[in-house]
Amino acid sequence: MSDIDVRLEGVGKMYRLGTRRSADTFWALKDFNLEVHRGSSVGMIGPNGAGKSTVMKLLAGITAPTAGRITIVGALSALIEVGSGFHPELTGRENVFLSGAILGMRRRDIAARLDRIVSFAGVERFVDTPVKWYSSGMYVRLGFAIAAHLQPDVLLVDEVLAVGDAEFQARCLARIRELQRDGVTILFISHDLSAVEQLCDRAVLLDRGTTIAEGPPDEVVSIYHRRSTAGQRIAVPGDDPAYARQALKLTNLTFHARTASIPTTFRTAEPLVVQVRYEADERLDPIRFELAFYSADGRQLHATLESVETVAPPEGIVQFEIPLLPFQPGAYYVGVVARDARTSHVLDWWDGGSMLHVETSGKASAGQIFIPHSTRVLTIGSGAAIKRDSIEFDRETG
Amino acid sequence: MDHVRNRPVTVLEPPSWAAVRPLAALARLRQFSDLLLTLSAHRISVRYKQSRLGAAWAVLQPLAIMVTFTAVFSLLGGVPSEGIPYGLFAYAALVPWTAFASGLSSATGALTGHASLLGKVSFPREILPLTYVVAAVSDGAIACIALAALMAWYGVGLSIDALWAVIALVLLILWLVGTGLVLSAIQVRHRDVGLAMPVLLQIWMFATPVVYPLALARGKLSPGLYFLYTVNPMTGIVDTFRRGLVLHTGPDPLALGVAAGVVCALLPAAYLYFKYAELTMADVV
Repeated sequence: MSDIDVRLEGVGKMYRLGTRRSADTFWALKDFNLEVHRGSSVGMIGPNGAGKSTVMKLLAGITAPTAGRITIVGALSALIEVGSGFHPELTGRENVFLSGAILGMRRRDIAARLDRIVSFAGVERFVDTPVKWYSSGMYVRLGFAIAAHLQPDVLLVDEVLAVGDAEFQARCLARIRELQRDGVTILFISHDLSAVEQLCDRAVLLDRGTTIAEGPPDEVVSIYHRRSTAGQRIAVPGDDPAYARQALKLTNLTFHARTASIPTTFRTAEPLVVQVRYEADERLDPIRFELAFYSADGRQLHATLESVETVAPPEGIVQFEIPLLPFQPGAYYVGVVARDARTSHVLDWWDGGSMLHVETSGKASAGQIFIPHSTRVLTIGSGAAIKRDSIEFDRETG
Repeated sequence: MDHVRNRPVTVLEPPSWAAVRPLAALARLRQFSDLLLTLSAHRISVRYKQSRLGAAWAVLQPLAIMVTFTAVFSLLGGVPSEGIPYGLFAYAALVPWTAFASGLSSATGALTGHASLLGKVSFPREILPLTYVVAAVSDGAIACIALAALMAWYGVGLSIDALWAVIALVLLILWLVGTGLVLSAIQVRHRDVGLAMPVLLQIWMFATPVVYPLALARGKLSPGLYFLYTVNPMTGIVDTFRRGLVLHTGPDPLALGVAAGVVCALLPAAYLYFKYAELTMADVV
């Protein structure tokens, strides 16, 4: 396992902004080093423009580096959607052959895998239909299915989870796991951090073309969370700047894993404390503090409406205590609004830097929320009391 | 996965002439030979889709030029045509010329026409212009059927000299590959090439003995200018093709020799240049 399949040494990529020689330059990647061992899976994460796609383009041989040296041992291919190589007039079958050839497959190899490719894409009934009549989903799935049936030594996976519906994504993930079992070396780019944690042995955090962190995926992902929480301002839906500057001012919002401890990581099903600092010009009563959570796409998930307090000058802290965080791993926006409880008039609101990154806990669960639960197995017939206490769905006993 | 098999080692370095490894590039091109075949077949099959006359266009294009020049020259008092009817004389040269002209202009746009593919997938880029060369040559083959019909009509047969036409054809393909590689690669950075193409090809046709015989140029040009005239490989190629096929004579040694020399010198240089330009093609296309 100690063989290194992919090695990047001091790799840099410079782009010219503009076509003239005197145009400004920009380093999409700078002095980048990476070693990927045979059979391992490395995930690359980072914000947009971090240089992740540049690494992929360099490795795939689409463009040459400006500096450094890349060594790849084994046949490399990229798991990408290749629908751009499709010809609309050709049928699905013909396009499979064309795109497969573009990816470097032999005709006989494509022929041998045609049935699997077509069923993977779920377009069996339309294989002899020109792709110009395909739905956009079918088009993308077929484009992706071809790449998924390559047999490389080294595989690049770029945003696989952005393709197709949930079922197709699950199929893609299953395919990646299959390739992992076969010992394929994998480089994986995704904005889906939990996928990186699940699939990869190691992760690399990139930002502005340089490596920020490298190591076990959960550690690197949590570093990424902390970095992106700092200095980020997100507008909470429903904000209205017209309410600025009142007698009450919210000055800071912080998250705590347990009361009074320094901010660390926040995990599903664990306690969360939210503290909001305020400054007040006078004694205010009654004030309603509303704490709201939003999903990454801006939907309100929860808002507390009942916490009515008395506020005293000059400053203080409002503390929200959540005994058990009901969110699955991911990013959430948190906003706080302070209102006059009698008139519902907004005195101030807080939206700055308040992104909550929830990380996975040891408890196995899936879905959109976490429900506190316990599981028991009851044996019917042995304990009559238990049976009588439960609601009967069985007609026989009714 | 087969771990026992020898794994290929790929080294990627900053663009430099040393980073161009022509032998490795040729080996990779061979690996992708199925792509060349599939894409060329596709090129040919979609070429005349949604056109009423279809593959007849391969014949009509040179035929139309032939008819035009026959008409123009008969009004102007004629041009010597080495003892065969002018129409046959001109058409026999227009077949290779049209294959060259249409092949070069379509090959020039081959890379810019597939920009999204260049940014997404890595494959030997030379395949794209090469497929247009294959398509143009297959068009030329169709045009040859009309040439055969014309020869039969005028009662002109074939002789052993037709083998010279085969040599001319090989040179034509190599020359088309060389120029197509260079111009398509330049076109990625400077679209001027594509814009200049129509007028360039028009001038080029008159600088080549297509609608007039080589002897005419030899008689009118000074020795120095005439040598320059033959440095254009199309001169030797078109002339040799016509002589071998319909005039039943061997080639003009100087014209064919210079053409062969230029073609053989250009092709490797063109391939090296193309592979060098390929290294950063995706950044600028």
